[in-house]
Amino acid sequence: MKYIDFPCLGRRPSTEFVVAGVLDPEPAELEGVTPGEWVFNRDSVPMRRTEWWCHTPTQLWFLVERDTASDEVFGVSLAGGTDNG
Amino acid sequence: MSIRLLKYAFIEDWAEPRFFNTPDELRESYDVVIIGAGGHGLATAYYLARDHGITNVAVLDQSYIGGGNTGRNTTIIRSNYLTVEGVKFYDKSVELFKSLSEELDLNIFYSERGHFTLAHSDATLRTARWRAEVNKHYGVDSEVVGPDDILKVCPQIQIDCGGNHEILGALYHAPGAVARHDAVAWGYARRASEAGVEIHQHTKVTGINMEGGKAVSVTTPRGTIQAGAVISAVAGFTPTVLSMVGLTSPIEIFPLQACVTEPIKPWLDTIIVSGSLHLYVSQSSRGEMVMGASLDPMELHSRRSTFEFVSNLSDQLLDMFPFLAQVNVNRQWAGMADMTPDFAPIMGTTPVGNFYVDAGWGTWGFKATPISGKTMAATVANGRDHELITGFNLSRFGDYKLVGEKGAAAIGH
Repeated sequence: MKYIDFPCLGRRPSTEFVVAGVLDPEPAELEGVTPGEWVFNRDSVPMRRTEWWCHTPTQLWFLVERDTASDEVFGVSLAGGTDNG
Repeated sequence: MSIRLLKYAFIEDWAEPRFFNTPDELRESYDVVIIGAGGHGLATAYYLARDHGITNVAVLDQSYIGGGNTGRNTTIIRSNYLTVEGVKFYDKSVELFKSLSEELDLNIFYSERGHFTLAHSDATLRTARWRAEVNKHYGVDSEVVGPDDILKVCPQIQIDCGGNHEILGALYHAPGAVARHDAVAWGYARRASEAGVEIHQHTKVTGINMEGGKAVSVTTPRGTIQAGAVISAVAGFTPTVLSMVGLTSPIEIFPLQACVTEPIKPWLDTIIVSGSLHLYVSQSSRGEMVMGASLDPMELHSRRSTFEFVSNLSDQLLDMFPFLAQVNVNRQWAGMADMTPDFAPIMGTTPVGNFYVDAGWGTWGFKATPISGKTMAATVANGRDHELITGFNLSRFGDYKLVGEKGAAAIGH
């Protein structure tokens, strides 16, 4: 079992979380972007990236920086700062 | 010991011919370069040669043939899909599979078992009825059956499933089958090789070179080779290959795990699938229980297998078949699955000239091996999508024309 240190929660097993995909903000300028391009397409090569993680028991949302090749976690922060706590 | 085996051991000049050629040198140029020597890539090479007379073809693989998802699936073949595109496509594949042993002159141990997709809730039963009606409309043998019918075929099953997930019925698909997946890859490799196709193992494509919006050559550690057309058939590595030609797709990579137990006496001659319990199980001709579960919960480009997988799978399995509690799991493994948002493949032409893609095979690729090869070969030979795969083109996402196969393609939903 993989355990990760989270703010507010402490050390929790990764199985308590739902990963809701990569942090992918809407482009500031949608002009010229093909319909469907931003909605569906993603660059899914192995890489280090930031993801949305939801802790199921508490419904707290976190931003987790993870390498999708090695599964190594580099950093965890509460989404939206402390306001969500 | 058979006489044949004795001969093989003692007579030096009596040896089995190699299954496929392994040329030392790459040619400078091929009409078609196929990246990925799995079932799909090798089948495409075979049908290019057989149906279209295109034999100046190289199949390149970063590892050995059939070592990716072709050798990592649980070998189930069926055509009881939900959408019109899916049913027509997979039904043609089942038809090709039935005569594949004769065609390849190699026994692929194609074994019709019957396939039960269990329903533990009214909602699942409703989808089962929907699928059965779509299937029947297109001539696919598929029907909804009750618990008594399941018990007749599989008396060992616990209908109440431990009290939590009582089985209310199932979608029964009589043509559901299993086959030896390695034999499919090796059979296609042999036939393609006999026709003149070159198979280069341990030859990783590190780049695809473009000129004027068209793919013209591929780079490997063994040199650069010119290509009239390039086909990507690399389950699990598709985003990496697409990035070489500047394309993006909705594909995300998730590990899919499976395992087999030690061999036990034959008792299960059908295929049991439960979407609610995230489980599918059949018994191989060697007696092993072959089992798989749903996808891992997060994207990962790795083939590592986990204890949580075996633990969760056993938990669900024992609700259904408690008597398996003392059976040992012998091996477990993972494959990297190309997942698409609509649970349908991405096939055919792309915005890049001379570059074709056979991808997005998620958890449902093995059963499509023959028909994928046949339709991809026709697509490359004619330069336009075969009629069976027009709905699977990469452009469907930009056009918002998704296929919507989620209800029938995978169990993890």
